[in-house]
Amino acid sequence: MKPLWEPTSASSSQLAEFARFVGQSSWEALSAWSLSPEFWATFVRWSGLVVEGALEPVRVGHEVETARFFPSLRLSYVENLLAAGADSDVALVGRDESGTRVTLTRAELRDRVRRLAAGLRARGVLSGDRVVAVARNTVETVVACLGACALGATWSSTSPDLGAGSLHDRFAPLAPTVLMTAGAYAYQGAGRPIADKMAVVATNLPSLRLVVALDEAALQIEGAVAMAELERAEPLAAFPRLPFDQPLFIVFSSGTTGPPKCIVHGAGGTLVEHVKEHRLHGDLRSGDRLYFQTSVGWMMWNWQLSALASGATVVLRDGSVSFPDDDALWRLCAEERVTVFGTSPTYLQYCRDAGIVPRQRNLDLSSLREVWSTGSILSPAVHAWATSAVGDLPVQSLSGGTDILGCFFLGAPTRPVWSGELSSVSLGLDVRVAEPGPDGIGELVCASPFPSRPLGLVGDDGGRFFDAYFSQRPGMWTHGDFVELTSRGTAKIHGRSDGILNVRGVRIGPAEIYAILEGMPNLAATMAVEQRAADEPGGSRLVLLVVLAEGTLDRPLMLRIKKELSQRGSMAHVPSVIWQLSALPTTRSGKRSERAARDVLDGKPASNRDALSNPEVLDELAALATTTTTAAT
Amino acid sequence: MQALRQVILDWLDDNYHFGDAAKVVRDDQMSFLQGGVLDSLGFVQLVLFIEKTFGMKINRKELSPKNFDSMGKIMAYLLSHPDYVGPR
Repeated sequence: MKPLWEPTSASSSQLAEFARFVGQSSWEALSAWSLSPEFWATFVRWSGLVVEGALEPVRVGHEVETARFFPSLRLSYVENLLAAGADSDVALVGRDESGTRVTLTRAELRDRVRRLAAGLRARGVLSGDRVVAVARNTVETVVACLGACALGATWSSTSPDLGAGSLHDRFAPLAPTVLMTAGAYAYQGAGRPIADKMAVVATNLPSLRLVVALDEAALQIEGAVAMAELERAEPLAAFPRLPFDQPLFIVFSSGTTGPPKCIVHGAGGTLVEHVKEHRLHGDLRSGDRLYFQTSVGWMMWNWQLSALASGATVVLRDGSVSFPDDDALWRLCAEERVTVFGTSPTYLQYCRDAGIVPRQRNLDLSSLREVWSTGSILSPAVHAWATSAVGDLPVQSLSGGTDILGCFFLGAPTRPVWSGELSSVSLGLDVRVAEPGPDGIGELVCASPFPSRPLGLVGDDGGRFFDAYFSQRPGMWTHGDFVELTSRGTAKIHGRSDGILNVRGVRIGPAEIYAILEGMPNLAATMAVEQRAADEPGGSRLVLLVVLAEGTLDRPLMLRIKKELSQRGSMAHVPSVIWQLSALPTTRSGKRSERAARDVLDGKPASNRDALSNPEVLDELAALATTTTTAAT
Repeated sequence: MQALRQVILDWLDDNYHFGDAAKVVRDDQMSFLQGGVLDSLGFVQLVLFIEKTFGMKINRKELSPKNFDSMGKIMAYLLSHPDYVGPR
């Protein structure tokens, strides 16, 4: 077997430069050395990040759960993003479906952020305030985020298509003082107003002191102030430098039980981790133009934003991926001379199935040097197709997530790319396989402290945070993925080890689905499970198992269930198939076991069959999975 | 024609409109794209479903609004396709 791509000129990469700087001559040696705390201090020095205070101690404590990095260091995340590059360099390019194009130079971006920060401060916004946003992927949103974060406020954003209930569920626990919102968004060429919805959301957030309109349509919301009005303030003289662990971003993640977790990420950990990933693994630098296909509600938005700190231009695009043409994203890459295009297996598979072969289109993609893919597993077939369809360049798979706001695995300029594999472990992260089976597959854990470990969860005394990531293996971060580390230093992800769903690249907690369906007539119990399905976008599909109070599951009820999930959740919450069981697989302690059901649906023996009170249900499910076809739904 | 129309409506119900497909698709001429019936990603899913269900292969160069942007166009395309053996 040959790699899909092999490096040719890696010696000029920043990774090679850093390896020379620290005197490590091989990838293996550099990886091993990077697990010492010294790596992080050396990287901060080498990267030229703007910090003040002492780099020592690098770390206080040895436990992953509680260790703190750089307690004597102060920095501004925003200052570091804006420090790189010459005034005339383009910092941001904003495009939308209609072809509208907006650019901001580094100087223009700095000025707008300074003015907005001053305007927010004049309205009483302080360090530690929580700013929530419902926003489009535009230049305005980046200015809004950086303006808030410059003051030490915490930013949390979602995309405009979420329902009012979901927005409230996410925002209410944060007790935000500022809401920044769009009043409309465009999708498939049609405008979709959200001002009325946002007025309701604002009314139901009693902690709010300020509503900022990100566009004209949002000015309909009573009391909303235009962002341009705030930007009339005299620019902030300097960005306050705050402790390394100053809260920066709050992102949301759903589990198998309970409400979504509101995960708090710190400014220093986020900055250092992202700059490390961008510069050492992605070789991003001044002159690069990064476009990552994301909404503002996905952690990859925060991740791509940090690329400003590496001097790269960030290209933003708002709207549908396939409007006005099916090759809209590839056309954007050509027109904007994008050098790194970030996307997902779902999109690449769509291109394959639709016959969209970028190199055969009349597009100049000569600027493109890498394609990055994340959100779910890039299967060998799609990986190989993408490599041949785009051209002679690496298609790198990335894997990490919301929980760490970064990557455990990604590419590296000095490493070959193998089909269906993640090229390298992220430097500085002590990634291991816990309890591997005979096939080498086990739990993905991180066994040493790392700076980008979240600070905690909103509204939690530490108990839920510990339960979520450490209770299974105290002293290690358990991520919730099955992983295999190969002898050549690459990795393969084998799906979630818990019940979390990944539907076409969208992570969904089964608890969200159960909450929506709770109380629906005749539904006694439900279970949502992800089943491997190679032909489906993203390589899996969502199966909903139901137990009825009486009768048989018929087509009208199936459609009612799907409609409820689409309206109160999203299209990603809608199952591909719905099957009826006499009971759900349940442990002796009375807990639903999604894991047992998933094993059976994937054709494997249930790993916890002996722990179930009703293992015979698994046989019923196996028979159903064998005899029922998708068409029957 | 009615049987084929129903197969497509059922697929639209299962995947996008959940019981409202017959109302959303007002007539055989309305544009699926402009009428919000399907987006481009949805078209690809529909084509994959047709290929799997009827055991046929659709040339991706023919996957254009000209052939697929309304119920009438889809039915006309399929019924004139030499490999089509599904309901009529």
